[in-house]
Amino acid sequence: MTPEGFPHTLTLRDASQVQFTILKPEEGKALHAFYRSLPEEDRLNLKEDVRLSGWAERFLAKVSEGSIISLVAKLDGEIVGEGSLYRTFYGWTRHVGEIRLTVGPSCRRKGLGRALAAGLVKIATDLGIEKVIVRVVENQVAAFHIAQRLGFMKEAVLRRHVVDLAGNKRDLLILANDVTQIWSTMEAMLMDYEPDSGE
Amino acid sequence: MTKTQIRVGGLGGQGVILNASIIGKAASIFEGKHATLIQAFGPEARGSACSAQVTISTEDIGYPYVKNPDVLVLMSQDAYNQFVPTLKPGGLVLFEEELVTIDGKLPAGAKALGIPATRFAEELGRRLVLNIVMVGFFAGVTGLLSFEAVEKAVRDSVPKGTEDLNMRALKKGFEFGRETADAK
Repeated sequence: MTPEGFPHTLTLRDASQVQFTILKPEEGKALHAFYRSLPEEDRLNLKEDVRLSGWAERFLAKVSEGSIISLVAKLDGEIVGEGSLYRTFYGWTRHVGEIRLTVGPSCRRKGLGRALAAGLVKIATDLGIEKVIVRVVENQVAAFHIAQRLGFMKEAVLRRHVVDLAGNKRDLLILANDVTQIWSTMEAMLMDYEPDSGE
Repeated sequence: MTKTQIRVGGLGGQGVILNASIIGKAASIFEGKHATLIQAFGPEARGSACSAQVTISTEDIGYPYVKNPDVLVLMSQDAYNQFVPTLKPGGLVLFEEELVTIDGKLPAGAKALGIPATRFAEELGRRLVLNIVMVGFFAGVTGLLSFEAVEKAVRDSVPKGTEDLNMRALKKGFEFGRETADAK
């Protein structure tokens, strides 16, 4: 299933126009270059070491099989952010998706992360995924607020679970969102028979 | 005093009341005008006739009911048939062009402008946002409300997690409305 509503263009807080598209196989090199350009501290947040050769091929293979849906944000044709929805087709968490977001340093604090996250939540609901989780390190305040604004709530805390560059151990928060409720709430709002709905 | 009376009509489940509520909220809370809302709906939850009356004014509003609207926002043929005869001469009909067919019932001097709002909503990914496309179209064509006010009203009204898609629906309708108004 191809996610609907893409590509689309969004104006960020600094008036720059960013295009959101679903990652195409031929964009693997550009995505790899984006991830390799990230500061080391940011790369520590990633699940895999993107400096290794073959990373892009492995990532694209998962995209191809559908276990990753990758949404990329481009500014003047260059990738400036990427969000992935990870899912599994087998096992007792097949109704759960996980979102991972990365925004390049030049595009932070402009609303790009929130837009990527919102796009992925929409894709998740379109795919029938019922619950979406995100992992946020305790000091990633912006990411935490983005998730909260999208309806995610803190569900678990893994104490001293990650180690940063300075060797500090930090808590990892797992936030979850029952996305089945998002559009059913909107649908209920549109029923037009609830006397309070016009308040 | 500037007073505009609006009737929004359609079917239950299309978001008629939400549409009218957002228009009223944008005018009153986010633009500092006065607004009233009256809503009416059939006994069934979905698919029955449904309408809402909104009055926007720069002064106090003494009577909230709308008998002869200046603007009709229509999302079903039944609503068109029922409410077009009540439109003021020279009034404006904003209609969903895949759901409503305009005929010779329009009052003298009335203008009718259509938008493929259902198609736009489907292209955006959810038919549910049809009513938000119509809100944007209303604001874009009439110029009665600033985009900023309507944007805030939409954000304030829709469920958490749906804001971004609703914003895109609003923008699509607003831009189409501006283009339509400029072309006429």
